[in-house]
Amino acid sequence: MTDQRTLAFINFHGILGSLTELCRQVPEARALLGNKKVTIAISVKNGPEGRLAFENGGCTVLPGVSPCDIKLPFSSPEKFNGMIDGTVTPIPSKGFTKIGFLTGPFIKLTDLLSKYLRATEEDLRDPEFFRVATLMKFYVVSEAISQIANHDKVGQASASYIVDGTAKMAIGDVVGAAIIAKDHTLTTVHEMPEACFSYMIFEDLKLASDLFDGKVNSVASVGHGKVVIGGMISMIDNMNRILDRVALYLA
Amino acid sequence: MFKINDYTKSREAFARAEKVIPSGIYGHQGPAEGCFVPVSAFPFFSERAQGSYFWDVDGNRFIDYMCAYGPNILGYNDPDVDAAAAAQRKLGDCTTAPSTKMIEFAELLVDTVATADWAFFAKNGNDVTTMAVMVSRAYTHRKKVIFFKGYYHGISPWTQKIDYAGVTEEDVCNNIYLDWNDYDAVAETFDRYKGQIAAVIAQPYMHNNFMDNRLPEKDFWQKVRKLCTDNDTVLIIDDVRAGFRLDLAGSDHYFGFEADLICFCKALANGYNVSALCGKNFLKNAASSLSYTGSYWLSAVPFAAGIACITKLREINAPKLLIEKGTKLKDGLIAAGKKYGYDLRVSGVPSLFYLRLADDPSLMLHQEWIAECVKRGVYFTNHHNHFINASLTDEDIAETIAVADEAFSVIKDRHS
Repeated sequence: MTDQRTLAFINFHGILGSLTELCRQVPEARALLGNKKVTIAISVKNGPEGRLAFENGGCTVLPGVSPCDIKLPFSSPEKFNGMIDGTVTPIPSKGFTKIGFLTGPFIKLTDLLSKYLRATEEDLRDPEFFRVATLMKFYVVSEAISQIANHDKVGQASASYIVDGTAKMAIGDVVGAAIIAKDHTLTTVHEMPEACFSYMIFEDLKLASDLFDGKVNSVASVGHGKVVIGGMISMIDNMNRILDRVALYLA
Repeated sequence: MFKINDYTKSREAFARAEKVIPSGIYGHQGPAEGCFVPVSAFPFFSERAQGSYFWDVDGNRFIDYMCAYGPNILGYNDPDVDAAAAAQRKLGDCTTAPSTKMIEFAELLVDTVATADWAFFAKNGNDVTTMAVMVSRAYTHRKKVIFFKGYYHGISPWTQKIDYAGVTEEDVCNNIYLDWNDYDAVAETFDRYKGQIAAVIAQPYMHNNFMDNRLPEKDFWQKVRKLCTDNDTVLIIDDVRAGFRLDLAGSDHYFGFEADLICFCKALANGYNVSALCGKNFLKNAASSLSYTGSYWLSAVPFAAGIACITKLREINAPKLLIEKGTKLKDGLIAAGKKYGYDLRVSGVPSLFYLRLADDPSLMLHQEWIAECVKRGVYFTNHHNHFINASLTDEDIAETIAVADEAFSVIKDRHS
């Protein structure tokens, strides 16, 4: 069972949030944005709110809804999730003069995002595409862990057993995220932490990709030393229970 | 300098295992759930065992402080237990009508365990913890059960949590989780759910993972006992792990109270597969009323082994012996740590000791130290309590302390 509100938080912070990584990794994404400076605010009733700020070919996620150039209000998490699925067309409440950005570069950018997040087997045969797609997936998964821990009923049960501290989740030394637990609330910082209380490190991009896709078994991978865990293992144990639910939400 | 183990054959075996067995090795004896950190320090498969040792498939010998996670209480291949089992095997084991060994074993438990007026046999700890909860519900016609956070009562859905794979909300909706030693919370819960609580289930003390084990605070059990009595709630002690290492009369007896139901397994038959639920007379009819049985539950060989095991544990006053050995080891390990400036905490009852190097709250330093011990042939685990067995010698303890000393020196050098 998944919960629409939790999915909305994942969609905002994980899926749309990964535009930041897309712009960092993919020249085509930067080219689409050019030197446009536009901030889109998203406000979901009983759900997430925040801004996507585009500037100099990059993207940043900001808290709050103002200031902004375009505002997209949604009456429910379901409506917002519908926009992500492509079944709902958003109607801006502000920024009609900038609608061209929404219907132009932004749509193309999200299409590009879908290409990486829902990559075809053929696309993944290209090593550079595979690398970027896996980094994108890592971004979404590491973010989804925190959103599920904070909003999903079962995820909250797992989080209730997580002690304070920083858990490092990483793919070798290629990419890492800090999942910071404080009073059973989790926050993902998309940078390799310098210090941590526990860690879970995937051997390489291939293994991480296969694990995220459910092609290999995580427990057996620990046995093979391809997933290395350590420190306060109870944090990792409970995070893994949340990770099981990530697949449910991102399926 | 102790030899550093090589695990080539263990790794090869694991690669084979993973192809045909989920996770390769599942459960608490596997590298993930067993917290093998780093996995490279640990053997995966054993070849043989004797007394206090096991040898892995690479031929490395380990002084074994996990004792198969508890069953090995007299020493692997104890001659008296094995002889009794072999004699019974010649007569019959799994037969259409059960052997009278079953009666003999039940009589012995009733004579040994303080709270036992009867005994019911099964195979694993989970069989009898599940039965205990079912008995409490059959007797009280109530649903709710109080647990203490950090508990482990087996692997049936009711023993797991809502976020565990394969467990539904409905499986655990009658579970109430309270903090260990928090009597006020127990009392408040009894008030809040007046007439609804079927049972309190608990281990005799909190011997959970990842933190120092905690004994019951003064009068905690006596007050909980009274609450249960006053509210017609069944008090279940899960003595599967601690049973017979604290007190042959039961760990409730050790802490000065009486359970209504008490669950045994692990040390009951020195490795032969049998578990037992013992209880008071007033619950005997409720136990009889259950539809609860299994294909191998009345097999006679484990009963014969259990009789020999309990008899020998009584003869050697095993709990006293095990606590003495555990105390000697504990003192030696703490002193070895102190020599290098480390603060090794040894908690719980010494026959069931838990280790934690308190110098690093992340436990990474602790994991390094444990790994260095295991690589040198002393089998400790990172975050589970350990077990003492009666065949452990002073020489074994001395060797263990020497290995621990060298392991401390290695991590000291690494971090200085």
